[in-house]
Amino acid sequence: MFGLQRVCGRAAQLARVWAGPAGSVLTPKYFSSHPRRLAYAKELFLGTIRKEEVFPYPEITKEELDEINQLVAPVEKFFNEEVDSKLIDQNAKIPPETLDGLKNLGLFGMQIPEEYGGLGLSNTMYARLGEITSLDGAIAVTLAAHQAIGLKGILIAGNDEQKAKYLPKLASGEHIAAFCLTEPGSGSDAASIQTRATLTPDGKHFLLNGSKIWISNGGLADIFTVFARTEVVDKDGATKDKISAFIVERAFGGVTHGKPEDKLGIRGSNTCELHFENTKVPVENVIGEVGGGFKVAMNILNSGRFSMGSASAGMIKKLIEMTGDYACTRKQFNKRLSDFQLIQEKFALMAEKAFVMESMAYLTAGMMDRPGLPDCSVEAAMVKVFSSEGAWLCVSEALQILGGLGYMKDYPYERFLRDSRILLIFEGTNEILRMYIALTGMQHAGRILTGKIKEMKKGNVGVALEMFTKKLRDSLGRKVNLGLTGNEGVVHPSLEESAKKLEENVYYFGNTVESLLYRFGKTIVEEQLALKRVADVLINLYAMTAVISRASRSISIGLRNHDHEVLLANMFCSEAYFKNNYTLAQLGKHSPENQDDSIRKIAAHVLEKRGYTCSHPLDRTF
Amino acid sequence: MRTLRFLISARHLCARGRGIPAGQALGTGNNAQKQVTCCLHTSPPPGPPQATSSAGSVTPYEDVFQREQRNKASFVEVLDLYCNRDVRRRGHVEIIEAALRWMTEFGVEKDLEVYNKLLDVFPKEVFVPQNYIQRMFNHYPRQQECAIRVLEQMENYGITPNKQTCFLLLQIFGARSHPIRKYQRMMYWFPRFKHTNPFPVPAELPADPVELSRMCLHRIANDLDSRVAVYQMPYTEKCDDGKEREHLHVVGIQSPSQVSLLAAHNPSTPVYVEGPFPLWLRKTCVYYYILRADPDPMRKEEEIDNERSLYYPLSLDLELDRDLGDDDSFDVDDVEEGPVFAMCMAGSGDELLLGKWIRGLQETNPILGQTPVVFRLNSGPQELSVPQEKEAEPKGELEDDEGEREPERRRMEQ
Repeated sequence: MFGLQRVCGRAAQLARVWAGPAGSVLTPKYFSSHPRRLAYAKELFLGTIRKEEVFPYPEITKEELDEINQLVAPVEKFFNEEVDSKLIDQNAKIPPETLDGLKNLGLFGMQIPEEYGGLGLSNTMYARLGEITSLDGAIAVTLAAHQAIGLKGILIAGNDEQKAKYLPKLASGEHIAAFCLTEPGSGSDAASIQTRATLTPDGKHFLLNGSKIWISNGGLADIFTVFARTEVVDKDGATKDKISAFIVERAFGGVTHGKPEDKLGIRGSNTCELHFENTKVPVENVIGEVGGGFKVAMNILNSGRFSMGSASAGMIKKLIEMTGDYACTRKQFNKRLSDFQLIQEKFALMAEKAFVMESMAYLTAGMMDRPGLPDCSVEAAMVKVFSSEGAWLCVSEALQILGGLGYMKDYPYERFLRDSRILLIFEGTNEILRMYIALTGMQHAGRILTGKIKEMKKGNVGVALEMFTKKLRDSLGRKVNLGLTGNEGVVHPSLEESAKKLEENVYYFGNTVESLLYRFGKTIVEEQLALKRVADVLINLYAMTAVISRASRSISIGLRNHDHEVLLANMFCSEAYFKNNYTLAQLGKHSPENQDDSIRKIAAHVLEKRGYTCSHPLDRTF
Repeated sequence: MRTLRFLISARHLCARGRGIPAGQALGTGNNAQKQVTCCLHTSPPPGPPQATSSAGSVTPYEDVFQREQRNKASFVEVLDLYCNRDVRRRGHVEIIEAALRWMTEFGVEKDLEVYNKLLDVFPKEVFVPQNYIQRMFNHYPRQQECAIRVLEQMENYGITPNKQTCFLLLQIFGARSHPIRKYQRMMYWFPRFKHTNPFPVPAELPADPVELSRMCLHRIANDLDSRVAVYQMPYTEKCDDGKEREHLHVVGIQSPSQVSLLAAHNPSTPVYVEGPFPLWLRKTCVYYYILRADPDPMRKEEEIDNERSLYYPLSLDLELDRDLGDDDSFDVDDVEEGPVFAMCMAGSGDELLLGKWIRGLQETNPILGQTPVVFRLNSGPQELSVPQEKEAEPKGELEDDEGEREPERRRMEQ
């Protein structure tokens, strides 16, 4: 018995010795066949860190930096001097002269290539400008609806004729674009889209019929990206309804819009219903191919999200300045507000959140700007979730610093609060995006781990023994080393602690994912509470990576105030580390222990009765 | 424990008094205790509770309740008459027991106020034990048992006593007496049982048959989305030949999910009208009918379309199934049951009447026009119905011709 154990131990040691060098040599080779297909976040599900993806922190060249700075200065000036956000909010309309100003600055064609008259900005530069345009929520949303989703279809899936025909006018702002997907009966369910496009007998046009709701820029736009059902003949000859994307001009006729919706926030942006009645769309205006609209829609939605990180960060940076002034001048009990620790805490929180958001946003933008076709949709979704929630929290805290003043309409804080609420809802609600984040990773991990898990379930002694030794080593306090620090390390020593925490979290996250796959298999889709936790851990891991990478770079090249960055990064990593450990511990438990059972039972009861059924505390039975 | 010790000491005391050895007294158990009670009290030992109500013997005070007008006021009047007649309240146990028997006749069996009035008949403070010996034994057992009978009757009718009851019992028998114990036990259990039924039946059922049907259908369907439709209001029609024709009510219920289930039904297979099935509401029984179909063997699971969710995958492309440790589903023998499409309550189990229901359903479910409807009705509900004539189901008229029908009839309606 002892002999057997010793032999096994020897074998495991040998295996480790062999796995070390071979792994590090082989893995890059394996992936080199698809160099940019693989994103960082998906690999985290396997408990590994692809450090070359995120270290060093992406940079832009000196020339690009100068260029973007030249662009930023006038835009900043314009927003500070000529945009009256209060008025826009009050009148629920962006004045035409402001829109003209935005057009003159070229802000309607930021990502359109220069050959079509746009600015041709990279994702990174687009994110940088987003920081400033976000100072007014209504303008930010108008611009985003125009170019992040409205004309994105033409940009990423359109053919050259379509691009040449539409992009120049869209870039100059002469035409405004809108993205028409949502219908009264269809939010994220493509199957319930009712708008229909039928081919005319001559085969040259589609007749478009149906209504869309909540279309941003619906009342202003001249060019619409519309999704509608079309009949498509299958491979096996059966006709089937499939979604197609169309470029529709208002000039085609039959397009009407309702009156602008009255909204809680981003009131200046135009949102309304759109009706298409026998709108004649030429067949050459189909984006991609007929029946390929679903992919187009998904790509547009996936690519539009990353900029929300920098936008939120820009807004919070502005808020810190504004509330900072107040906190340092207002006096109570002969002390300034800024001397109270509870106020200080709020500023630390805002700075931390802004720092993390910024780091995540520019890391993601940098990854997207790499050559090839990087698939950063998971990262972009994480940026969106983290920054929208962070923004909501920070705005609320900023308002709290001002106390009653913040609640008054005379001050801009309540407007920021109202405007930022939409961030959690549009471009995919945070709940849906968490599902996307977790399930995409689970699918990736599942493909790779299926074989191993099947062996384990079959009772393969070798695999089981490997598992056992791994568990044993983990329980004996294993030092996780994924290569971020040490000789081959990429992290600055002042962030070593944080990097270690990240590595440990990543390693145990990998283990947790494996056990989740073992436990639930493909039915994990139904375990939304578990998936939410998986997504939360992943978001934290990505955020940790981003801040470590950024702070390492800052300290290494000697950026101004890099010590402050290190402090922020270390603080965030410690916090996230504890949160992750808690979440991972919950994920390791079964539903009766981690409260999931109770949550589901309570919700089931409440929803069955459709109300709160507890007796009133003042009720009596006798 | 303490009471046991008291008992033993009491037995010793009693044995010494009568010259019987203590061991013998202990050995006889209950009888010994009874003897103890007998020798300590002058009043005669209490007979069994039914002794006073036995049919043969002439019971006192029965005649005072033999009145024409029987309601709460006259009941209270009798008690008041008795109380004012004699300050000693002689024969109070008898009048209370007689009153208990007459309560249902006067319709006051569920009136807490009357029960309190009844307890008020007992003379106050006379039966309160004055020393530990009295307290130890059953002091004035007949009176105590009489009070317990009052409380028992309250219990049987589900009447929760109140503070007033407690004050009266304390005044009459003192704390720690048997009636107070009974009161405490009632107060322990009654509030706990008050809301045990998650589907409470209202005390007063609506008299209108349509309203009653509406309530019952909601009660069975228990789906907040379902809508009740009245297919026919009850009314009487005067025919040309002077006869009166009565039209009975038809009230149905259907939820949106049932509508969509029915819409997906294969029209070549029949749907069945079945019933009547009983539904009990306290002491009333009503009957309902269902429209159902056999389980469809051809029905297949809906396939998940991967091009459906714009934001996240609805299914994972993995070959791993759920592990046994996390499989929380019950392992029971699933009996495949067909879908129930709608339910109704009608004034009678008449095919013509139920046909009206089906025709009414066709307006919202056009598929019923092409589907054969088979009536599979059991012989009428009259065997089960209780003699509660006031209830809303006027089935009486149809009893005769329903009895002649065969237990199961079929009719195809195209």
